Amino acid sequence: MSEQLTADVTIDARGAGCPGPLMDLIGKVKKADSGTVFELQTSDRGSVTDVPEWVEKAGHELLETVEHDDYWSIYVEKA
Amino acid sequence: MNGYAIVIATDEFEKITAASIIGSIAAASDIPVDVFVTMNGLRPFEHEVVETRDFTTGPLGEAMLTSEETEVPLFTEQFRDARDMGPMNLYACTMAMEMWGRELDDYVDIFDDELGVSGFLTKAADKQVIFV
Repeated sequence: MSEQLTADVTIDARGAGCPGPLMDLIGKVKKADSGTVFELQTSDRGSVTDVPEWVEKAGHELLETVEHDDYWSIYVEKA
Repeated sequence: MNGYAIVIATDEFEKITAASIIGSIAAASDIPVDVFVTMNGLRPFEHEVVETRDFTTGPLGEAMLTSEETEVPLFTEQFRDARDMGPMNLYACTMAMEMWGRELDDYVDIFDDELGVSGFLTKAADKQVIFV
């Protein structure tokens, strides 16, 4: 359940179009320690499929995607 | 294959934006990217054109430039961010610059250098070429 997830870093990319949310996430992930959990908040529908693609290719872990009324929270743990 | 070599020869805003998005995500993901801007592709990188947003656009480009709901970074900002995050280099074509009567300083400050075709082919030798 999403209530059980606690992010170490929250990235509010709501309102940003592609590829803004993903670029924000990549930039933050690169500078973080292994095990850091991110919550990417995005209103960009494309991010819901695009971010998981990148996460898998980059070797990180997609924890959960939570849909809110007008945005999504994508939880990612850095490998 | 060791990354991408993107040739921008068009002045169409949408095509340059697409190239900037694809190249930026690749570079941010640590995939080497060399961008060679040539022919009409150089004009949208001029200071005055960027400042006045005097781009050659279609309907989608107009929407991207004017949307109040979705913030779409300009391709110049996209390239600048990508250069800070990963292995991306941008080069302006020397021949096209001469034809336009421009110097490197006439363009937004995102180019690493100017380059001729031989130099670009050397950089592109081990890369997949994308031509827009």
